[in-house]
Amino acid sequence: MKAVKTLPRVPEISPELARIPTRRILVFSPVIRYQLGPGDRALVAPGDHIVPGMPILERTPDAELIEVGRMENWETRKPENSDKPEKGPGTVADERLSPLWKEERLEAAVARQAQAARLAGREPMAVRTPAGPRVERRRPPVPGKWWIGGGDRRGKPERGRPQPRVGGTLLFESEGRWRAAAGERHEVVQSPVAGVILSARNAVDVTIEVVGAAMPGAIAAGEPSRGYLDVPRLTDGELWASALDVGRAGAVVVAGSRISGQAISRARAMSIRGLIAGSVGEGELRDLEASSIRQKASLAPSVPFALIALDGHGRRPIATPILAMLAALAGREVAIVTDPALLVFDAAEVPLPEMPPDWIRARSGSHAGQEGRWLSSVGMYRFRGGLYLEGAVVRFVDDEETSIVPVADLERFVF
Amino acid sequence: MSSKPRAFFALDFGSATTSAAVLGHVGGRWRLISHTTAPSHVDVDDTLARLLTQIEATDPEMLREMGAVETIDIPGLIAGWARLEARTTPQRHLAVLGGSRRQRKRLETTALRAGWLVTGGSADEDGPVALSRLLMSTDVSAVLLGADHSPAGDEKRHLPDLAALLAAATRSRPELTVVLAGGAAVYESLFSGVFDGRTGRDVAMDQGVVGMDGVFGDGPGDAIGDKAAPQTKKVSKRPAANEASELTDAADGRAAEAMLDEGGSEPYIVSNIPTPMPVEEVAPVVTAPAPKPPAAAVAFRAVEASPIDIHVLLAPDPEAGHPAGSSLQQVLEGLRALPNDSRLGVARSVASLAYVLDRSIEVVEVGLQGGLSARSQPFGQGHATIVSSRACLADASFAPGTPSEEVIDGLLAWSTVSLDRHKAMDRLNDLRLAPWGEADGEGAIFRLAAAKAAFGRLVEAMPELAAAEMPELMIAAGGIFASLPPSVVALAMADLVRRPGVSQLAVDEARLLAPLGVIEDEGERRRLLANLADDILLPLGSLIMPAGVKAGRSAGHLRIKGVATISEIELHPGAVQVVDLPPGRAARADLDFRDAVRLGKRGRHFSVDVGGGMCGLLVDLRDVPMRISDRPDSRRAALDAWQRGMWPEVDE
Repeated sequence: MKAVKTLPRVPEISPELARIPTRRILVFSPVIRYQLGPGDRALVAPGDHIVPGMPILERTPDAELIEVGRMENWETRKPENSDKPEKGPGTVADERLSPLWKEERLEAAVARQAQAARLAGREPMAVRTPAGPRVERRRPPVPGKWWIGGGDRRGKPERGRPQPRVGGTLLFESEGRWRAAAGERHEVVQSPVAGVILSARNAVDVTIEVVGAAMPGAIAAGEPSRGYLDVPRLTDGELWASALDVGRAGAVVVAGSRISGQAISRARAMSIRGLIAGSVGEGELRDLEASSIRQKASLAPSVPFALIALDGHGRRPIATPILAMLAALAGREVAIVTDPALLVFDAAEVPLPEMPPDWIRARSGSHAGQEGRWLSSVGMYRFRGGLYLEGAVVRFVDDEETSIVPVADLERFVF
Repeated sequence: MSSKPRAFFALDFGSATTSAAVLGHVGGRWRLISHTTAPSHVDVDDTLARLLTQIEATDPEMLREMGAVETIDIPGLIAGWARLEARTTPQRHLAVLGGSRRQRKRLETTALRAGWLVTGGSADEDGPVALSRLLMSTDVSAVLLGADHSPAGDEKRHLPDLAALLAAATRSRPELTVVLAGGAAVYESLFSGVFDGRTGRDVAMDQGVVGMDGVFGDGPGDAIGDKAAPQTKKVSKRPAANEASELTDAADGRAAEAMLDEGGSEPYIVSNIPTPMPVEEVAPVVTAPAPKPPAAAVAFRAVEASPIDIHVLLAPDPEAGHPAGSSLQQVLEGLRALPNDSRLGVARSVASLAYVLDRSIEVVEVGLQGGLSARSQPFGQGHATIVSSRACLADASFAPGTPSEEVIDGLLAWSTVSLDRHKAMDRLNDLRLAPWGEADGEGAIFRLAAAKAAFGRLVEAMPELAAAEMPELMIAAGGIFASLPPSVVALAMADLVRRPGVSQLAVDEARLLAPLGVIEDEGERRRLLANLADDILLPLGSLIMPAGVKAGRSAGHLRIKGVATISEIELHPGAVQVVDLPPGRAARADLDFRDAVRLGKRGRHFSVDVGGGMCGLLVDLRDVPMRISDRPDSRRAALDAWQRGMWPEVDE
């Protein structure tokens, strides 16, 4: 059985079984979001089709407040940096001086942006034709507009040293002067997924409708990343941290029931792109956040790293249907996105495991993580602590006896 | 047999739990016929079918009469009966901007009480980049910029820049709703649709409240307060889709049949046809536009709004109203909540119930998306006026989205099992992911601690209640209390509400307060509550809580005089003693203390009327306020001892 965009027919099940919470394993065409801040800009426009690896936004991590100056004459005045000669009417400060442009990373976007410029009602951030005079007019200063300024605005220039340039977004105008959130350092973020841009607003957000299928997770952290899916052999449902070696660099590794702090540190050191696990603790998430902050502060470029926990915080093994699906996709490119928590597959068709309709899993309680088959409903039942809850009779795998479990502790899978 | 159905469904769609009840006109008045609760993922029609099946099995004749049918067709009844629906509003974020730290804190307090998740910033503490980051966050759906009626020196010099920053943010995020409170209202023109390029300082100068050199206060009259008389003005269009009446006909969406009360002439709310709203209105009273539909959890779409579609509300300053801030709180509540918000419905029902029963009532409701603490009491001649106050706290969720260290501290303080901080946080986060998960055994103990911690946050949010008298009736509501044994709920109320006095305790077991509270007409709601008052609350018993009981072997004696029996017990300081008094029974309790105590007034001999309930009469002889050891082990042991006395099945 394979999942394509049309969902497979849901088998008929009894009303009692239908009362067990369902867990959808696959979602199609989810919408993901990148939150931007002051100084950050989108490099794409709504309607753009993007592919993995394409630059979609540029962050300004050290944005600070800069007084831009009066912009009443924005239509006619010369570029603000007087120490550089003007290169003619075809030059625009914000594109020519972008570090992104210098690194030739906008090349792939040129054709797309030119196409976007032809579409009505769209305003790409920077449109440059490959040759010939520039045709686009300067736009009026509005909040969120990309702005480039010179070092002369940041204090007395030093002799013999190149003047640092700052770039960022306009914030607001007060007393006739604009303020901008700008900085010298910029980081380009590449899309980990293929999709269509739904919205792109400087300093606000970029939202993407992903092409393909994705598996929802409970928690995700880190920077959205992409790599080939590596499903190593697990010992008792777990992966030893020592198994995360340099041979797995560039991979998104299935790490078993729980991600430890040690595994996270080791994975980052080995340039692993991501970890997938059943659960992750709050302490480990804090460690990861602190580690990310330290790495950013060191100014050293780092590869994006993300982790996704499919179940939550309490230790639980990955459900066998999910594990089987991941095993079938081993070696294919996958992406972890964090807002919302998703594991995105590039595959057009996702192989689905065969599973009886009454297959259930205990997601919480004393049987958490165990899987088996639902047998019948027992209605309201007295459980531990003298509490009356709706119960079900189930037979867990490897158990000879049946168990009566609160229905709310169970889950069943739908694709 | 009547030709019209004489019954309807009352539904409360919570974030974790859906409750359903059947209310029928039986024996000449409205009665609660049956009710149930289920996790929110369960199909509501399936739940209703189970309810009706139970009624059919018990009394098919009554079901036929209520449904006005000859033969019982349960799917037909489900489709045909009207529904009174309340729904929990998802949490929403509000950014608070103040000119000064003092003002920001005041605004934050008011916004928190209105149920918002709040992130705040002030111009004297945060730079424009930090404030802009706060405004640009797509989690934030509204911004409150506030100032005093006459802004003081510490804030008014910052207001022009703050207003300009906010106006610029609305250019980038036209979906933002802006609330200008108090003196900040003079900057309204900055948000008037098409950006006219004027700065906040320009506007202030135009209005004569700033001098030519740009310094506030040196202009003629320093009249910012006079120019900014608080008023509420709705500039935005109110979406009519949310205006559906709550008692709807499930069959075809048209106006439901009017259901007549005993008088037979006045219908309850009958229509779900959206009322067309005026495009623009200026109301003398505080109103707010209906909020936008909540964003989906996983899929979110970019809001397509033109720059002129900016929502601006003018609101009173944070000191207006009695108690101070209540006027602004009302505006913010209206902005946040759905029209049939269940939490506000509970507050309205309690106010009506206070009138019907002529008693002071307090309610504490704890849910997944927040909590509510409300008090209503009759006042004035003939007790015709009801004075109410309330706090809706998003942070009073039993499992807050991002639990702070204080939340974990509160949880650990009420936990009777040893937990390290990380494990407690993991379990709390898992509880949010699966609110119905592990509801038995150790999970129930953890849930009780989480509920008590949330209860404690609600008590802290209503400091004015600390000086109020013990209410005559205290109600616990919310799914988490409904899932716990009644005796531990009563103990939780005694643990958290530490005021000397005597009170009746009850649980909103059927969760009817919320749906009944969405009935728009106060008179209709009171009439219905008068019919249902005996049905909707599950009595837990009575609580006697004297203050000033001195330590020792004996504090005195309690004598209960029932209809046929008299029982006497010795009172032990520091203990919670339970006297068996079944539901429906009333008795007179005579208390003779060894030393003078406070129980409403100071004295040694008291005689009070008490009512029975699921756990009888509780005599709480612990300290008021409660004093427990700060050492975790000792505290846990003390809490565990009291808890075991009320919940002996905990060790099963």
